[in-house]
Amino acid sequence: VGRVVDLELDADDRDDAYRKVERMCAELLANPLIESVEIRIDDGSA
Amino acid sequence: VVVFPGSNDDHDAAWALRAVGAEPVMVWHRDDSLPSDVGAVVIPGGFSYGDYLRTGAIASVAPVMASVRVFAEAGGPVLGICNGFQILCEARMLPGALRPNRQLEFVCRDAVVRVENAETLFTRRCAYGQELVIPVKHGEGAWFVDEGTFVQLAARGQIVLRYAEDVNGALGNVAGVVNQAGNVLGVMPHPEHAVDPLLGSPDGGLLLAALVDAAGAHRTHAAVA
Repeated sequence: VGRVVDLELDADDRDDAYRKVERMCAELLANPLIESVEIRIDDGSA
Repeated sequence: VVVFPGSNDDHDAAWALRAVGAEPVMVWHRDDSLPSDVGAVVIPGGFSYGDYLRTGAIASVAPVMASVRVFAEAGGPVLGICNGFQILCEARMLPGALRPNRQLEFVCRDAVVRVENAETLFTRRCAYGQELVIPVKHGEGAWFVDEGTFVQLAARGQIVLRYAEDVNGALGNVAGVVNQAGNVLGVMPHPEHAVDPLLGSPDGGLLLAALVDAAGAHRTHAAVA
């Protein structure tokens, strides 16, 4: 793992959160040419 | 000369540009426009915003970069040096990305680079195959692109400079790449540190003087249009 980014965000549900983070990764957080991404969601319910 | 928080070769770039006949102006990263009579843009070296996310990533979405993009799309010459090269790649204005050096160590020394295309705006004062001595100083200088794109870029003459030896693990020893339109160049070596024999080499001045030529031509063209 080259880098871990922790994000807190408001979302309608897990899918919504996933989509938002996926978009952030595509636009800025990761460079798809040289990096791959794994997204894990913690909805605080556990 | 665009200045980000963390730029550290901005004043060297301005000094060197002045030495080859330009009148440099500094442009702050939050500015939402470039001075109207600008003939060329230099994105200097450094560690913009600390480069914490990825080299050049945050700077690529800075307010000033929207204006730089518009300037480039209008044919304006843009030179990115080191961190500037990284920023232009992250902004997708140049192909590829700069990865950490293969040796995982910062490299700081003179490098010999060979001119692979002497017909770009930036290399017109050089000869094909000419070897230039220009210093490098970077930790993330290993340019990378997928194989298919690399073959295309080489065929189109977009690989402009190559190291004469393996310096950092860059694909094809690439040290400088130009965009398809030919007006945006990124280089890892620092031409602004090589404009005076007293400081080791005057060879970088060839690239910067060509940029100044191109800036004059772009201003004339823009004034006519």
